[in-house]
Amino acid sequence: MAYLKFQRSAIHSAVSSSAAHIGVGISGQEGMQAVLASDYSFAQFRYLRRLLLVHGRWSYFRMCNFLWYFFYKNFAFTLVHFWYGFFCGFSAQTVYDQWFITLFNIVYTSLPVLAMGLFDQDVSDQNSLHYPSLYKPGQQNLFFNKRQFFLCTLQGVSTSSLLFFIPYAAFSVMVKEDGSYISDQQVFAVTIATSLVIVVTVQIGLDTHYWTVVNHFFVWGSLIVYFAILFAMQSDGMFGIFTSSFPFVGTARNCLSEKSVWLVILLTSVVCVVPGMAVSFLRVELFPTLTDKVQTSSHRSAYAFSHQQGYGELITSGKNMKMSTASSTGSPGGTPQSSTWIENMLKRKNAVSCVSDEITGAPAKTD
Amino acid sequence: MYYGLSNFYQNHRRYVKSRDDSQLNGDRSALTSPSKECEPYRTGEGSPIAPCGAIANSLFNDTLQLYHIDSNGTFNEIPLVKKGIAWWTDKHVKFRNPGGNNNLTVAFQGTSKPVNWRKPVFELDPEDPENNGFINEDFIVWMRTAALPTFRKLYRIIQKKPSTTPTLPSGKYVLNVTYNYPVLSFDGRKRMILSTISWMGGKNPFLGIAYITVGSICFFLGVVLLIIHHKYDNRNNSADIPN
Repeated sequence: MAYLKFQRSAIHSAVSSSAAHIGVGISGQEGMQAVLASDYSFAQFRYLRRLLLVHGRWSYFRMCNFLWYFFYKNFAFTLVHFWYGFFCGFSAQTVYDQWFITLFNIVYTSLPVLAMGLFDQDVSDQNSLHYPSLYKPGQQNLFFNKRQFFLCTLQGVSTSSLLFFIPYAAFSVMVKEDGSYISDQQVFAVTIATSLVIVVTVQIGLDTHYWTVVNHFFVWGSLIVYFAILFAMQSDGMFGIFTSSFPFVGTARNCLSEKSVWLVILLTSVVCVVPGMAVSFLRVELFPTLTDKVQTSSHRSAYAFSHQQGYGELITSGKNMKMSTASSTGSPGGTPQSSTWIENMLKRKNAVSCVSDEITGAPAKTD
Repeated sequence: MYYGLSNFYQNHRRYVKSRDDSQLNGDRSALTSPSKECEPYRTGEGSPIAPCGAIANSLFNDTLQLYHIDSNGTFNEIPLVKKGIAWWTDKHVKFRNPGGNNNLTVAFQGTSKPVNWRKPVFELDPEDPENNGFINEDFIVWMRTAALPTFRKLYRIIQKKPSTTPTLPSGKYVLNVTYNYPVLSFDGRKRMILSTISWMGGKNPFLGIAYITVGSICFFLGVVLLIIHHKYDNRNNSADIPN
């Protein structure tokens, strides 16, 4: 979230933005005082444009995405215990293995969200510069406010309830392929934990707009590391060394080799992910924001860019027909009509440089 | 053949903690001084309890026998197999008898039986040393605590008869229950369940119904979203991107 404050000064200029309260100083011939007092400094005013419109905007976007995802995954992870309370006599019995609880936020889900927070871009940098009005959501605090937080909480709660109740219903009568018992605490824990890790990983995969090599490595690597640690911790070797710390010995081997358990995991993952996907797809189709339009247009071609205000105003105003002020009913504004439409045309063509005009102090023209 | 219990909260936190895995793995030091988690079922009659804890103490000890009444009126007992009901990793890795499987009476000297048991642990199955002591399969199955308050655990296996003779021919059957396990005090219920098994386990209608439902919803959603995308995409093509 940023808003721009301009200080006009003959000696130096300083631009400050809130939230992070970054101070930006521009060094110049008049001196380096602003540079000494600022967090970031550079030599020319035109660099400010890239700092704000590209990096500032991306920073806001990444921060909001990161927060949203972090709250979502922790709600999904923790609230399963709330639902389980109804079925364990409210005794605060954990659904998951103790080790899973320890490692979930540190190892299994930390790196993908870090990569998303560092590298994600919703539109490319050229498009960010080309469409400065993409900066508006940051000024208006649109990407993460109370409403967004509420929606994120809602999605976390519903994911947690699906994560619990689908295995609950399936495990009421489930037995293994050879008939032996499988509806026990430990298998239940491993099934829900595996479903959770898969759901949050798929969710971050869908939320990442811009995939780099690092993103790929972190996302798939976290999933592989989860299974590696799961089988390592529940192996005979670890149990032999630390008997009382690893009571889940043998569970992963016994339950993840069952087809019915994998069917439960697949069902849970699909049911948790599909509604979110459908809602975001509908939102993009039915209520597209400027970001969505820029993204879809950059996917297609330059066709959409050629659309601009045509010559309709000129023709309807009649200026090209006869040079008389009698036909002034269609023209906008009042007074100097002959130059008005020319001004409008020039304004629209030079819209990109409007913001830089504002920065350099020219009177702001708004349509 | 399964036995089922209802309203039995094997997933209560204090209950789940009340065991000593080192003792059950045959550790000598844990045998003589069990873990504190087992309180109040840690020591009894002045000596440490083996196996300690509330889970072991509440071992299910009913005996079920199934008889088929054939056309002559004679009772044919259906053979019930009591080995192979526990997980292999449980029986061979997690649970071990202290000092090997022989001479269990000597190995468990100095310990006492759990409070609610009738016989000590080394008399669970005296004829079979592979099924006695801590590695008794009924005991192992019970120690694997259930996740939900209504559960069923494998009691015995009825071997499938070879060739075409039916394993359980149609007719009248008698179930003989030696009722040792009290459940009325906590409004619990006991059941006996007979089930065939397949690659998906036993009878599990939930998974089938859920998959069909979710699959149809996904298909329907796919069609609807395709229509919406087709309709609104044409509108978006002519949308102006404001500069």
